[in-house]
Amino acid sequence: MTTSPTVQTRVETIAEEAEAGSLRGVILGVGRYLRRNPQLIVGLILLLGLVAFTTIGRLFVDIAGAHPLAGPASQPPSAEFPLGTDPQGRDVLAVMVVGAWLTIRTGVIAGFIGILAGSAVGFVAGYYGGWADRIITWIVDVLLTVPAILFLVIISAMLQNGLTSFGMALIIALLAWRRPARQVRSQILVMREAGYVEMAKLSGSSGFSIIFKEIAPNLMPYLISSFIVAVAAAILASVGLEAMGLGPQNEPTLGMTVYWIMQFSAFLLGLWWWILPPVLILIVLFVGLYLLNAGLDELANPRLRKRT
Amino acid sequence: MTLLEVRDLCIDYFTSTRVIHAVRGVSFDVAPGERVALVGESGSGKTTTALALMQMIEPPGKIVGGTAKLNGTDLLALRGDAVRASRLANVAYIPQGAMNSLNPVLRLREQILDGLVDHGQRLDRKAADALVAGALKGVGLSPDLARAYPHELSGGMKQRACIAIAIAMKPDLVIADEPTSALDVITQKQVMATLIAAQEEIGCGLLLIGHDMGLMAQATNRVIVLQHGLIAEDAPVGRIFTDPQHAYSRMLIDSVPTLGKRAETAAPAVIAKPEAASLMEFDKVSKTFGGGLFGNDAVRALDTCSFRLADEHPQIISVVGQSGSGKTTLARMVLGFETPSTGEIRYRGKPMAAMRAEERRAYRREVQAIFQDPYGSFNPFYKVDRALSLPLANFGLTTQGGSARSRMEEACEAVGLDAGEVLGRFPHELSGGQRQRLMVARALMIGPRMLVADEPVSMVDASLRMTILGNLQRLKDRFSISVIYITHDLATAYHVSDYVLVLHKGRIVEAGLPGDVIERPEHPYTRSLVDAIPWPDPNRHWGTGAPDRAGWDARQIIRGQSAGFVLNAAG
Repeated sequence: MTTSPTVQTRVETIAEEAEAGSLRGVILGVGRYLRRNPQLIVGLILLLGLVAFTTIGRLFVDIAGAHPLAGPASQPPSAEFPLGTDPQGRDVLAVMVVGAWLTIRTGVIAGFIGILAGSAVGFVAGYYGGWADRIITWIVDVLLTVPAILFLVIISAMLQNGLTSFGMALIIALLAWRRPARQVRSQILVMREAGYVEMAKLSGSSGFSIIFKEIAPNLMPYLISSFIVAVAAAILASVGLEAMGLGPQNEPTLGMTVYWIMQFSAFLLGLWWWILPPVLILIVLFVGLYLLNAGLDELANPRLRKRT
Repeated sequence: MTLLEVRDLCIDYFTSTRVIHAVRGVSFDVAPGERVALVGESGSGKTTTALALMQMIEPPGKIVGGTAKLNGTDLLALRGDAVRASRLANVAYIPQGAMNSLNPVLRLREQILDGLVDHGQRLDRKAADALVAGALKGVGLSPDLARAYPHELSGGMKQRACIAIAIAMKPDLVIADEPTSALDVITQKQVMATLIAAQEEIGCGLLLIGHDMGLMAQATNRVIVLQHGLIAEDAPVGRIFTDPQHAYSRMLIDSVPTLGKRAETAAPAVIAKPEAASLMEFDKVSKTFGGGLFGNDAVRALDTCSFRLADEHPQIISVVGQSGSGKTTLARMVLGFETPSTGEIRYRGKPMAAMRAEERRAYRREVQAIFQDPYGSFNPFYKVDRALSLPLANFGLTTQGGSARSRMEEACEAVGLDAGEVLGRFPHELSGGQRQRLMVARALMIGPRMLVADEPVSMVDASLRMTILGNLQRLKDRFSISVIYITHDLATAYHVSDYVLVLHKGRIVEAGLPGDVIERPEHPYTRSLVDAIPWPDPNRHWGTGAPDRAGWDARQIIRGQSAGFVLNAAG
């Protein structure tokens, strides 16, 4: 090709360039990218820190202390109970270690099911169009007008006895697929017209292989970003329901802790060591998810992407 | 006396590991009232140079040196509000894609007044109305359009509205960045005539950016050729076309196809035997979009037409027309992406609608395409190899991996690509020309009987156009592939094709051998098209004024038949 000397002097290398595809190249590339996208790093650190707190915490804290009557009632922080105890005699530190895990798990399960079901429905509607699309779009549109909280309150109130945090995740997943379904459908509508889809048709690919091999890989960054949003929404929904007392009565999730705090008038009694930890953990969780999502959005959305 | 004096302009782009010296010490002058062309291929630095004059270089780009004095003021030294005050009032810009440059939710009136108000002009209602009407009249638009929204205008009208906005404040310098590259030749001629008239009216300098030497010969006084961020040549238009000093300028000029020098390769015009086996047959086919019980008005994309392409005598059939003429609809029906509204398409005598699975498969393999956008044709998720290996795998063309690789390498070689250089890369790592040639290689490797090439070179640099088309032509002869070449560019159609169809509003208005249709057009519409081609010869006048549309709907004219292609005049 054109490699006259004028072209070569036109481009100067100012930093190390490892061979494309080599491990060193990947490390250098990722490192440079993260330096330009600090949101992604801070978000990841916050979330990984929280996961470490609940997994490593189990090794040092006796999680049996998360049940009522495990210790004396309403004790301020001490050497034995670093975060004190609540009026029912739970060790607040143990509650946080267990509760953070339960709440994250609820969000991830509900978000995952929602994205999986939603994108499957959206794929079918967007790619095949016609009557399948009309029926699916109509159902999704109608369901989107139903206030989720009303729906969730009724179901959890009916199931309240014997409800576990896993059951809670399933209830939230019942409505979590609507938005992903609609968003994936519109993404597919755009991608279906792409030149490479027509090229794949000309290359003899079947509809099935076009969906999974041509379109789906290009949708991945988008799906991952939607997944984070869905997890955040599911956690918000679960904490909301639990704070109303509609959660699992026998599991110390963060939302249930909030419910007990209100139930026992912790503010009037000045039990600050009981109030602060769940609030701080929820703040760290939501800020972490937000930053991670914003960072991934920048990675996935070419319009926001800073040039490399 | 000079209006603009650019000296040692240097602009760098920074990536995380490299500095790209996009513009390396460019110096030139523009006199008042002079029209200067800034010509070069993609990546030559022409747009970067122009944007720098308005300080519109975005990070990671940076102006690292030089001055640009406009009437003695250095445009590059302006800071803050002075930059804003200078834009539009002193230097105005006409962007490339008018369709994306106008605000879709504002009427034209507001968009024309927007800049004036922002520059502190106070106008009462009457004065504003008069000004808007004058601006629109100045670019040949009706003053009634002041109340129109952009979507109500055609592409050419939008581009003229952009010109109206740019010259509303009578700037000293107007920069037009490929203002007509998205328009067909007839509209291009009208828009350029408008731009030149407006420029002469207010007496400003004009910097016209582009890659089409033909257009520059017709529209400018002086041509500056840029290559790799350096000025290759700066010469008056009269000299550069007769005596180019730099090899690169000569190459750019030579790459513009002209009439009269056609390499005669066409077979003698023999009337095909009617009983000869047909490859593809359109039997009274038409296509209408929309309509129906709840639909909007139906749009007739393609009027009833019938033709037959014989199996022997492979040849290149050009389908020429403006946008909206139905040429792409025709191509998509040949590919089976659209089904005809009436009539029947037969492939090897078999109606397409009634094909069985295995016949469909054979048809898929034998009828291939090359599309306009060489970037969109590649899935960005995969390396470019996949575009070649996918059909090999799907059509069972190879059995072992080793032979797939060697077939891909052979195909690359056939179109003049170095397999080692392009295979294993991602699409964005290749140039437009490399990508498009890879698409030609892909089509070849499959070994089709028919190839639909929909504007295969419109997004490729001028110097590569004839190379790629030459590839197509050689492949036709070597592998006996019939090609349907869809284009709006009559000059390339003239050079590569054996038979030409001219489409206007879904009707075939003229058909015949290229020597007849393009050198001696008889239909008024074809004549308008041929007249609007900008020739790379400043002495051959382009002509002015709007084409006479009166005769465009005249009767169809068919002259001559080509061996193996039978067009049925009755439709």
